[in-house]
Amino acid sequence: MPVPSPSPSAHTVAVLLDDALVTLNRAFGVLRTRNVPIEGLALHPSGTAGESRLTFVLKADAATADRVAQQFHKMMGVRSVMILANEDSTTEATR
Amino acid sequence: MSEMLSGAEILCRALVDGGVEVIFGYPGGAIMPFYHALPDHPRLRHILVRHEQAAAHAADGYARASGRVGVCVATSGPGATNLVTGLAAAHMDNSPVVAITGQVSRPMIGRDAFQETDIIGITLPITKKNYLVQDVTELAGVVADAMAVAVEGRPGPVLIDVPKDVQNQKIEYGAPQARARGQSRPQTPGASPGLEDGVHKAARLIAGAERPLIMVGHGVILAQAYAEVRALAEKTGIPVITTLLGISAFPDGHPLHLGMPGMHGEVHVNRAIQHADVIIGIGLRFDDRVTGNTASFAPQARIIHIDLDRAEIGKNVPVAVGIVGDARDITRRLLAAVEPRRCERWLEHIRGFVRTRAESYRGGLSPEAILASIYEASHGDCTIVTDVGQHQMWVAKLYPYQHPNSHITSGGLGAMGFAVPAAMGVHLARPSGTVWAISGDGGFQMNMAEMATMVQEGLPVKMAVFNNGYLGMVRQWQQFFHEKRYSCTPIWSPDYVKLAEAYGIPGYRVKDASELAETVGQANTQPGPALVEFMIEQEANVFPMIPPGGSLSEPIETAPAGATGD
Repeated sequence: MPVPSPSPSAHTVAVLLDDALVTLNRAFGVLRTRNVPIEGLALHPSGTAGESRLTFVLKADAATADRVAQQFHKMMGVRSVMILANEDSTTEATR
Repeated sequence: MSEMLSGAEILCRALVDGGVEVIFGYPGGAIMPFYHALPDHPRLRHILVRHEQAAAHAADGYARASGRVGVCVATSGPGATNLVTGLAAAHMDNSPVVAITGQVSRPMIGRDAFQETDIIGITLPITKKNYLVQDVTELAGVVADAMAVAVEGRPGPVLIDVPKDVQNQKIEYGAPQARARGQSRPQTPGASPGLEDGVHKAARLIAGAERPLIMVGHGVILAQAYAEVRALAEKTGIPVITTLLGISAFPDGHPLHLGMPGMHGEVHVNRAIQHADVIIGIGLRFDDRVTGNTASFAPQARIIHIDLDRAEIGKNVPVAVGIVGDARDITRRLLAAVEPRRCERWLEHIRGFVRTRAESYRGGLSPEAILASIYEASHGDCTIVTDVGQHQMWVAKLYPYQHPNSHITSGGLGAMGFAVPAAMGVHLARPSGTVWAISGDGGFQMNMAEMATMVQEGLPVKMAVFNNGYLGMVRQWQQFFHEKRYSCTPIWSPDYVKLAEAYGIPGYRVKDASELAETVGQANTQPGPALVEFMIEQEANVFPMIPPGGSLSEPIETAPAGATGD
């Protein structure tokens, strides 16, 4: 994963994924193996049975945030990926 | 009709139902119920390897040569961990491998039981998906899902960990279940949003280009897009570059074929990249061994990147147009959208970059001559499997590939020891063809125990060992970048001819080019395995070379001053 650009801003990425330990473990592994600069991380039930919502905040430019999202998008067990790109929603998501 | 079956029997049936014919494996405590059931399923031919790493590499070789899933089996603990290098190689090179491992019984998991290891945790980053089967009722569905996940979209390895008590669990077993776990979300090739728009943008860029290039990678082989890529090149006159894993996707010797790019690419290939104004990349990931320093890679080029994996677009190099989809489908669309054109001035320009390489050999035993003898002996019709190092680069640059997917190597991981076991898998996928495993003296010694597998299982692999008495590629780096301090790179070898004889295999040693044709010809016509050792120049180098992290514009073409070989 390329180094974030000099003018990073906060992006919140929300990943809906299977509520299975092995899937969650794999998702955390993606953050580590792709060297994603995360600042906050939260895991909650999504409201749908068998599904979790993994939310993390990264300080990076939009292109890097998109590349990170794509790495999750192709992961087995991931159902959807959203990038919520503004400081306000970031604050909400990390709380 | 249903019957009571054990998990082990279900596992065998599910493999048969999945179309599996060959399994590479090694038995042990936690996988014994599976091995107990196996003889009742004669359609599953089991190849007993001498080390589980070889089982994974062989399954990988089988998968690459056949386009079907390669299956390997190991016990828990050391059996499972020995698979890891092979799975990592399959992961990096997108090879559909399914690994089945035994695990300690469920009540023992987490208690540090004998031969217990968390193979799920260990293989998370090197598998597309992995499963710990918690109940026998899941088993058939898991196997079906694993077989599908391994091949669909961008292929890759999958691991199934089956506790011993699950293998022994009995249930009433009916018709084969469909993929029980429906959550997998296959990556859909083909029509992605904006695809036609991308194709038309690409066609416009190509129409306006003065110095265009096509770069093809492994994706072209995986998608079998040979005819489409060739038609695109011939319709537009655009020269074609093949990456290490793209070799054989385009015929060597075709007037539009330039060769391999990157760290050991020929000068004219890299110069072409540095001068190009448009690059059409098909099914490659612009790996660092291809690009050198990305900051100075193709500075004038606008890049059109076609890849099945959306995450590859823009990952390593910025792209002007990214098109997500199957290489064959997209290339076909692009072919229809481009206008016929020629690139004669550009080709002439590139011809002006061509250099002759400065190299030294003894006894006339140049890599060219050795590879030419293999080509002649096999009438240009064999599969070459290479290991990792200097010989791998010589083969990549010098072997005149004519047939698609006839070059197999460990590219992304660069795993020494790959060639010999992977070639066993290639033979089983292509039993009527000839397969040569080409290794250096370092890599060959890593998995040479597999000669016993070849003898026991009747696998007629031809083995070539390039013996220079060194771990040659590392020695070359030491010569160029570490003041010629040959630290721990001289490597002793046994007498390979006697070693081959000990295994009951014909062994040959070639010291001079005059012996090549006859000896290689004899080895090639042996009905079973054969080994040929080539005594090559000790300090031969692979030229040219882009220094690690360097720019493609600045190749090393001769040994640096003060670092020349004796």
